[in-house]
Amino acid sequence: MSAEYKPEIILEISNLTKRFPGIVANDAISLELYKGEIHALLGENGAGKSTLAECLFGYYQADSGEIRLLDQVIHISSPSDAIDYRIGMVHQHFQLIDTFSSVENIVLGTKSLNIIFNLDEARQRIKALCDQYELSFDINAEIWKLSIGEQQWVEILKALYVGIDLLILDEPTAVLTPQETDKLFSVLKSMKESGLSIIFITHKLREVMAVADRISILRKGKKVATITTSETNPKELARMMVGREVLFRAIKDASFTGEEVLTVNNIWTRNDRGVDALKGVSFSLYRGQILGLAGVTGNGQKELFEVLTGVRKATQGEVILSGENVINFDPYQLMLKGIGYIPEDRLRSGIISDFKVSENLYLGRQRLRPFRKGLFIDESAIQHYSKELVSQFDITTPSVNHLAKNLSGGNQQKVILAREFTQQPKILLAAQPTRGLDVGIVEYVHSQLLMKRKEGMAILLASEELEELFLLSDLIAVIFQGEIQAILDPANTTLEKIGLLMAGVR
Amino acid sequence: MKIAVLKYHIERREHESTLATILSIILAILAALLISALLIRMDGANVLDAYRSLFIGGFGSWRAIFETLNKATPLIFTGLATVVAFRAQIWNIGGEGQFLAGAMAAYLAITLFPKSPNSILIIVILVFALLAGGAIAGISSFIKNRFNVDVIVSTVMINYIIKFALSLMLYTSWRDSSTFYPQSPFIPENSYLPMLVEKYRFHAGFILAVLFAIITFLLVEKTPAGYELRALGFNPIAAKSRGINPKRTLMWILLVSGSLAALGGAVELIGLTHRLRLDISINYGFTGIIVAMLADLNPLGVLVTGILFGGLTNGSFAMQVKTGVPTSIAFAIQAIILLFVLTASILTRYTIRKVEDAH
Amino acid sequence: MLINFLQPVIIISILASTIRIATPVLFAALGELVSEKSGVMNMGVEGMMLTGAFAGFYVAYQSGSLWLGIIAGMLAGMGMSLIMAVMAITLRLNQTVIGLAMNLLASGLTFYLYRITYEVGGAITTPTVDIFPAVRIPLLSNIPYLGDIFFSQRLLTYIAFISVPLTWFFLYRTKQGMSLRGIGENPRAVDTHGINIKRYQYAAVMFGGLLAGLGGAFLPLASTGLFVSEITAGRGWLAIVLVIAGNWIPWKVMLASLIFAFLDSFQLQAQGLGVNIPFQIMLAFPYLAAIIAMMSTRVKSIAPAALGVPYARE
Repeated sequence: MSAEYKPEIILEISNLTKRFPGIVANDAISLELYKGEIHALLGENGAGKSTLAECLFGYYQADSGEIRLLDQVIHISSPSDAIDYRIGMVHQHFQLIDTFSSVENIVLGTKSLNIIFNLDEARQRIKALCDQYELSFDINAEIWKLSIGEQQWVEILKALYVGIDLLILDEPTAVLTPQETDKLFSVLKSMKESGLSIIFITHKLREVMAVADRISILRKGKKVATITTSETNPKELARMMVGREVLFRAIKDASFTGEEVLTVNNIWTRNDRGVDALKGVSFSLYRGQILGLAGVTGNGQKELFEVLTGVRKATQGEVILSGENVINFDPYQLMLKGIGYIPEDRLRSGIISDFKVSENLYLGRQRLRPFRKGLFIDESAIQHYSKELVSQFDITTPSVNHLAKNLSGGNQQKVILAREFTQQPKILLAAQPTRGLDVGIVEYVHSQLLMKRKEGMAILLASEELEELFLLSDLIAVIFQGEIQAILDPANTTLEKIGLLMAGVR
Repeated sequence: MKIAVLKYHIERREHESTLATILSIILAILAALLISALLIRMDGANVLDAYRSLFIGGFGSWRAIFETLNKATPLIFTGLATVVAFRAQIWNIGGEGQFLAGAMAAYLAITLFPKSPNSILIIVILVFALLAGGAIAGISSFIKNRFNVDVIVSTVMINYIIKFALSLMLYTSWRDSSTFYPQSPFIPENSYLPMLVEKYRFHAGFILAVLFAIITFLLVEKTPAGYELRALGFNPIAAKSRGINPKRTLMWILLVSGSLAALGGAVELIGLTHRLRLDISINYGFTGIIVAMLADLNPLGVLVTGILFGGLTNGSFAMQVKTGVPTSIAFAIQAIILLFVLTASILTRYTIRKVEDAH
Repeated sequence: MLINFLQPVIIISILASTIRIATPVLFAALGELVSEKSGVMNMGVEGMMLTGAFAGFYVAYQSGSLWLGIIAGMLAGMGMSLIMAVMAITLRLNQTVIGLAMNLLASGLTFYLYRITYEVGGAITTPTVDIFPAVRIPLLSNIPYLGDIFFSQRLLTYIAFISVPLTWFFLYRTKQGMSLRGIGENPRAVDTHGINIKRYQYAAVMFGGLLAGLGGAFLPLASTGLFVSEITAGRGWLAIVLVIAGNWIPWKVMLASLIFAFLDSFQLQAQGLGVNIPFQIMLAFPYLAAIIAMMSTRVKSIAPAALGVPYARE
């Protein structure tokens, strides 16, 4: 930057602290935001980025510290204050009402809406915004009919419609294809040029280098540094994020493909809305092989996993497990036949947070020996088993009788891994196993998966992180709108090609 | 200049404390008694006299204690029925109807086998009641599994239907022809539950209640089935994905729950009332829900709260005699206790923390 | 036997009383609809109706004014729903249990208060009030047949039925109604628009209580003229069923109420005509019908997605 150019500071955060029970999420963070810049907040999961953003948006209130907007101290005690201050936010998990249309979601509660309303004027304004940013989707359709990428745009339009000077985006590319991400970045750049200031929250180094002007790195609730993008590189950023040298690659042995253990043939199923979510999915899993499943969330992965674990009924197709067609068997039988499952949403489907750690470690096998002796649960056998697992998998917990909800996310995931691995399943279905976890735990999970692969387990690994898939998979299948587009060897393809396939471009 | 401003935040506790739980329940009961004192004043009675006679009437003599245990028995059964269902987040509100169904099934058994020897007849009666209660609750589970009809609403509707069914039977084929009241003739003595203390008509029903409380405790806390029940209650999605079948589990839980309530009805008939009447249940089904909630859905705790409420009901008769306050105040007090206990559970969830704010 | 029913007089009587009988349930059901649309499940409708019935009767009897009784009924229902709102919305306790507690409280309290007010010293006289007169709408009530059925009802009945399109208009054509519906579907989304979730939910729940109390007060003040314990006889629960059966759509809820009222009215008439079916079976019929109705609608229901889930910014 030239010496005469003095950037205008529009937002100043001083010593902001926010606590939750047992944790300091934001620890005396100070930050300056310039007008017309894209400022990235970079950090691992749990570093405090989202919390800081929610404090700016009024969803949470900071415990101490000061926020100045254009040099005036302001108090943001609720989202309506933030909206008054022309601060808008696009959340990581969309805040949209499924049964309303985009128009309704955008105008909900806005001041310009009359008590007895007519939506025509709003429709025109929204259409104009869409034209401005070259968006084309049906703004009158109900949200559940839109694709994830389109829903993302509705979230952004919500903020633009009411008029903002500052836009906060929380992990906006988590559910986008590489191409959609590029489109987002170009729109952000043109917004920047028209004077909008943008805070961009992410944990992805590549994106930060691509789109941000300056980067503030957060680690464990504290700000580590603010740095200009042009003066840094990914390696340095990673080190600041984690506090130590980061191993970028787990070491994968050469793949050896054993016999076919699972054959999935022409699976069709419907989602909760009654629409076909899987349309003739076929693939095979082999002993000692990791098959990666790439795809934007919402293209059928959830339904595929549900069919393979017996939770959802397939309308057509077969699943041949060691010679037997187990299609539409119930979850218990599939579990007994050797299908292990690491679900996507830990807290929802993986563990029972109000149960003890020990109880979670045998979830599903409560009717089997050795956990059962006669009519009753064999408590001493369970204690023995749990203690062994806790030490084997290095699970941090005061005791095996502690409730699972008191464990950290990483340790909860370890509980799930421990439970599934000790059953020695032939096949492991892993959905987003490292989502929301610290780098340390991510490394651990990766090494565990590779170890099991070496031992001969067949693994289906679904992930939104393409790097993870490239790192671990022997083959990568791409799913788009319920169909497998292709199955490729990561050594012979590129991120871009996979990205295109994820967007449906063959 | 730095001025420290103290703010208070209300935030969730990290660990729930047993001391806080017990304290909150005691506080709640005291608060409820205070409010109920207002009700007593409204009737113009002396509050201290009323409470004294209430307590003495409930626990102040051997006669009182045994009668209290008698009154506790049906509450314990319906309380256990509630615990089994509510722990799985299955809202079985049909305890009232299932209780009546059990009494009716018991009566039916007696009419079918009037001459059987006592011990065999009791077993047959209890089995009939079990089946009846299970069947009635089973209807709700079936229409939930098949038609997605909420258990709450179907059990409430069925309550009314069974009440009418009882009325129908008592007005027609089961009516005691010697009176105009809709009630049955006295059941034969060989169908009675053994009397433990003849003088105070304390019958073996309480022992059965204790027995089933222990069985229920073992079932819920110590068996794989109970594990599945609790898992379903805490997190049905995780439970289902790990192989616990929600529909089958719903069914057996409702069968057990309905059976327990029905047993209460049968026991009340052959232990205490010895004839079938329209009012054989004095709100036992609903009070059983309060008893269960107060016991924090713990089967053994139901013994304690059941006895407490039995004493309350029993004592209210003495209170009416002594001070003229109608016995129906007992229902009001019970409901007020429930409300306060529910509210007090907040104390166990949250705590107040001081936060320093430096300006 | 059935021929007896086909006389015009009987048919008119059944239909007219259908409209009258539907009134209290319709009030309660509309109130419950609004409450549930905002995401709060009120299981205590039965108790709120009962409290409204008692309060209405008590005030009307003591003051001599029926309208004061109606107001008392509304306030009583609203007061109970305020307690419910605090426990469900602010304290975020389990909504099912709170509702049940409300019912038990109302049961016990109204029974007790009636006893100590009117049954003192053993002498049991039954106090009564003169109920609301029918209000014949000029001109319209002179239409043959239809006039007697539709236009010779009590004022409260007209109000009840007009409330149906009013409720629809509020929910679907006003800004606040849209926000309310949004809260019932996804409160977090609405929160990010800067809308005060708690305020809307409190308002919706208290509105529900007000209408439940009103519906309850209708029973002694426009129907029976007296109060007995459990005078509501499950009508509050029926209101909950009607909202489900009507799939949360105002006019369908009204239709469902009319169908049930018809069954009730028919059964009453049948008893009067000396039909040979035991009265218990006739009485049980509406409850049975309720179960059957739900079996047919529950599978494709469009219940508000966040119904029954207490909201908090965690």
